Amino acid sequence: MSSHTNNNVDIHDTENYDPTTWVPKVESHGTKDIWGRFWILSFLTIADIVAYFVWPPSMSRNIFFIVMGVLKAWFIVGTFMHMKHEHKKLGYMIILPMAFIIFFLFWMMYEGNFWGTI
Amino acid sequence: MSTQTISKSSTWGGGNSPFNVSYGKLMMWVFLLSDAFTFSSLLIAYGAIRYSYDSTPIEQIDALELKFAENVQEKFAPDVAETASHAATTLEHGAEHAAEHAEHFIPALRELGVFTEAQWPSPDLVFNHFPFAHGLHLPLIFVSLMTLILILSSVTMVLGVEAGQQGNQKAVSKWMLLTIIGGFMFLGCQAWEWTNFISAGARMWSNPYGPPAFAALFFGVTGFHGFHVFSGVVLNIIIYINNLKGTYAKRGHYEMVEKVGLYWHFVDLVWVFVFTFFYLI
Repeated sequence: MSSHTNNNVDIHDTENYDPTTWVPKVESHGTKDIWGRFWILSFLTIADIVAYFVWPPSMSRNIFFIVMGVLKAWFIVGTFMHMKHEHKKLGYMIILPMAFIIFFLFWMMYEGNFWGTI
Repeated sequence: MSTQTISKSSTWGGGNSPFNVSYGKLMMWVFLLSDAFTFSSLLIAYGAIRYSYDSTPIEQIDALELKFAENVQEKFAPDVAETASHAATTLEHGAEHAAEHAEHFIPALRELGVFTEAQWPSPDLVFNHFPFAHGLHLPLIFVSLMTLILILSSVTMVLGVEAGQQGNQKAVSKWMLLTIIGGFMFLGCQAWEWTNFISAGARMWSNPYGPPAFAALFFGVTGFHGFHVFSGVVLNIIIYINNLKGTYAKRGHYEMVEKVGLYWHFVDLVWVFVFTFFYLI
């Protein structure tokens, strides 16, 4: 994720921080990546629509759609939200709790099936 | 700016930024995480409630598609000829057709036994409209267009952030303006979708297509998301005006653009999952 090797970042470092606000100086990463992600996201959405029409409804199809959603989220968070270029620890703080939530999504959808039979 | 003497060796001892981001940006991430929990709880509830009902059987969907095809031949084809000859009254015809659709078509399908309160309707039977294509069965097309609009506005937003990182004030203005337009387009589409669903007879407490929970969850979740989009557009407008006034150029950095951009991408991210749950599953 991050190219910073030093974990302890000193905010009094005027080379990497704005000396009046102590906001980390950011570098531009170019626009090629952004358009690449746009095409990937469009492709994944089209793949979703194709799957919707060719694959009869089933729980495995739902799991496929959620996995596709997570893939799209990966590209949006990674490139559009610049998570790739952030400090690794920040990424873990955000992504780990969401991993549990995604599991919970699968779980409750599956359990809902049995509510009528309890 | 701190004047204390601080040990630089301790990550969490204060005086340094363990995540190497500013306080504002870190707090935006924390807020987005908490907001993601809120949306997840709504989607988890949707998944569980949706699967506590049986689904509309496939054979009935096929029968319904045939019925739609007949409807197109009987009602839509003459309508096209008529509409072509009275181009000025196209909109009126559209409104009439929508009213007819809501009054006769859905009750007819209910008599066919397609929609019952015990069965969760297949979303492609409910959200199958497209502007200026009255009476045609076009599932997923409109909502895919909405998805494309939101993804494109995410792209223009991130291009704005990129321009800010290069300190290019004019480019930031251009991309922010495009993002705002994308936001309004999405809100317009959502208003159209709601209008269709409401004019078909759906309310928070009742739903002509099946279980009332379907409508309640649809209005609840897309409404909550739509309000986020609206707030995002308002924030984008504030940033746009600030940038025109040169606030960020004076400040020396465009971090505000980036922070509001994070919120805007989050709104796009939530839509990806709303699309997955309400229209695909």
